[in-house]
Amino acid sequence: MHADDTPEPLRGIDLLPLPPFPAGLAAELAGRLSRQVGLPVRVLGGDLLGDGGAPAPVARVPGREQADADALLARLEALPRVPGRLLLGATAEDIGNPVFTFFFGRARQHGHAALVSLARLAPEAQGLPPDREALLRRAACESLHELGHLCGLPHCADTACVMRFAPDVEHIDVRGAGFCAACAARLPAGLAGRG
Amino acid sequence: MSEPRPDGQPAKAPLSMLVVDDEEIVRESLASWFREDGWRVDVADGGAAALRLAAANAYDIALVDIKMPRMDGLELQARLAEAQPGLTVIIMTAYASVDTAVRALKAGAFDYIVKPFDPDELLHLIGRACQQRELRSENERLRQSLEGAAAAGEIIGDSPAMQRILETVRSVGPTDATVLVQGESGTGKELVARALHAASPRRYGPLVAVHCGALAEGVLESELFGHEKGSFTGASASHKGKFEQADGGTIFLDEIGDITPRMQVDLLRVLEERAVTRVGGKAALPVDFRVVAATNQDLQAKVKDGSFREELFWRLNVVNIRLPPLRERPGDVRTLAQHFLERFARSMNRRGLRFAPEALDALAAYAWPGNVRELQNAVERAIVLAKGPVLGVADLPLPVQQQPPPAAPAGSLAEMEREHVRRVLAETRWNISRAAAILGVDRGTLYHKIERHGLQRPADAR
Repeated sequence: MHADDTPEPLRGIDLLPLPPFPAGLAAELAGRLSRQVGLPVRVLGGDLLGDGGAPAPVARVPGREQADADALLARLEALPRVPGRLLLGATAEDIGNPVFTFFFGRARQHGHAALVSLARLAPEAQGLPPDREALLRRAACESLHELGHLCGLPHCADTACVMRFAPDVEHIDVRGAGFCAACAARLPAGLAGRG
Repeated sequence: MSEPRPDGQPAKAPLSMLVVDDEEIVRESLASWFREDGWRVDVADGGAAALRLAAANAYDIALVDIKMPRMDGLELQARLAEAQPGLTVIIMTAYASVDTAVRALKAGAFDYIVKPFDPDELLHLIGRACQQRELRSENERLRQSLEGAAAAGEIIGDSPAMQRILETVRSVGPTDATVLVQGESGTGKELVARALHAASPRRYGPLVAVHCGALAEGVLESELFGHEKGSFTGASASHKGKFEQADGGTIFLDEIGDITPRMQVDLLRVLEERAVTRVGGKAALPVDFRVVAATNQDLQAKVKDGSFREELFWRLNVVNIRLPPLRERPGDVRTLAQHFLERFARSMNRRGLRFAPEALDALAAYAWPGNVRELQNAVERAIVLAKGPVLGVADLPLPVQQQPPPAAPAGSLAEMEREHVRRVLAETRWNISRAAAILGVDRGTLYHKIERHGLQRPADAR
């Protein structure tokens, strides 16, 4: 992606489920995200973060049952960049870092790889009965939010915009599922199409 | 311009933050988190680097780790407060304890937060800090507004000329019309500007005064229009100009007759476009301001001799207020002197002070080349020097003392009687018994004379 006014058109999104990931969920998330962004979303297979042998161990946040979000993101960013495509890693594990207690997702503005965690998006995390639809809806919204960061967008003050910062799941549910007009205008061709 | 803030509210300009922590991961995590929210963030790995940054840049909020080698967070907090008194400091600590909280708050910190940060908690803390800053600046605006309202009451004078000026302030104040105030030094031009601002719907916005004559051209340009970082040697940080600071309020351009021809062109452009371009900047920033300009020079003469642009003169001279010198309204000298006496007596806690009649005569006879400001200084000086409750001629400045005795006023016997009764009443603050005793008449006779001469008890004598 480019930070200037004429960003490179996006051709698609690569979704990389990081094992262990619930069976079938990656394909469902890809389908929903694809409808939302109006671009093809391809599910990548295999352990791309491993070394071809045993899966590479995921760095942990000391003292917590969490994967280190920064370490995971760095590994995603180390994968070769594919022109016209953005990489979205998805994990079922809770993620954080030594500074923040948790993240829903991580991305660097103008980067090419982002990370989302489904751990706190599932209704079970709030003590509620499982609801796959709610989980998918939240996961797609959070994915879109992180993809927005990759396209250079900061957080947005518009309560209806998907780029509004959400400190908890309730805020994810309340905010809109698409980009506001101001944010959409700053996106590359392709991504702002729907949502 | 419109970046979001962490509290979810749109702001006109990005807020700025200084993050100080010896751990790189803390600095970088916080910096990226706040940058995503549209903040301008600088980071420092310790107290020395933080103080260097604070010397060159203005910040809204500083997040400071409490435990750092060489200079701990509490010491840094105190030194940052000296460098930037308005800075909001939040202390970061790895361990929550009452002792830490008490020490941080006693040292003047806004609050403290425990690592690792819960995003929701951090968001609320920063939101509260932003709200407190907003309240503080609103409080400052209100204080200025009150001062402005008080300024209207400071325009003193019974003379027809001053009454006309007060009427103009009342009628023009609520409009957005540009006003040019002309008058000699010390006649109270800034007071009129404050009164105009106080009478306008902009009174809750800022009133920003710029003394144009005191600044060299380059400095004035940067002062008025602001500059971008690196636009000239020494421009180590971006700077908001006075026009931007006056957004939503009034800008008072004093000594406007002293600005250079180039500045006249730049100023004319800003007044026409209602937008400013910072020195070294590219974009014109729209600003909502009202202009009150003032000068002690004859601007029309300067237009004629070509040293002041005619277009700028007409832009400024939409409404003209000419403040007469005090020598043209000698009748106001006693009223003003009495007003200053009461004001200074209050502030110096010396109640019961009064002028000796000869002292008032001497004040009234003097020409006051320095106008109201000189009179004000003379009264203040007399109060400081006076040993007792009566301010005599000897307490006045030498030039006032050395005035020839005032000539007896020409006029009819009735006029002379009216003036004498008015003066005695003023000197006794309308104490009828004392005034009657001084005049050698009984109270009934004095009431009769007051009614016959149409004398009115002033509001401050009630």
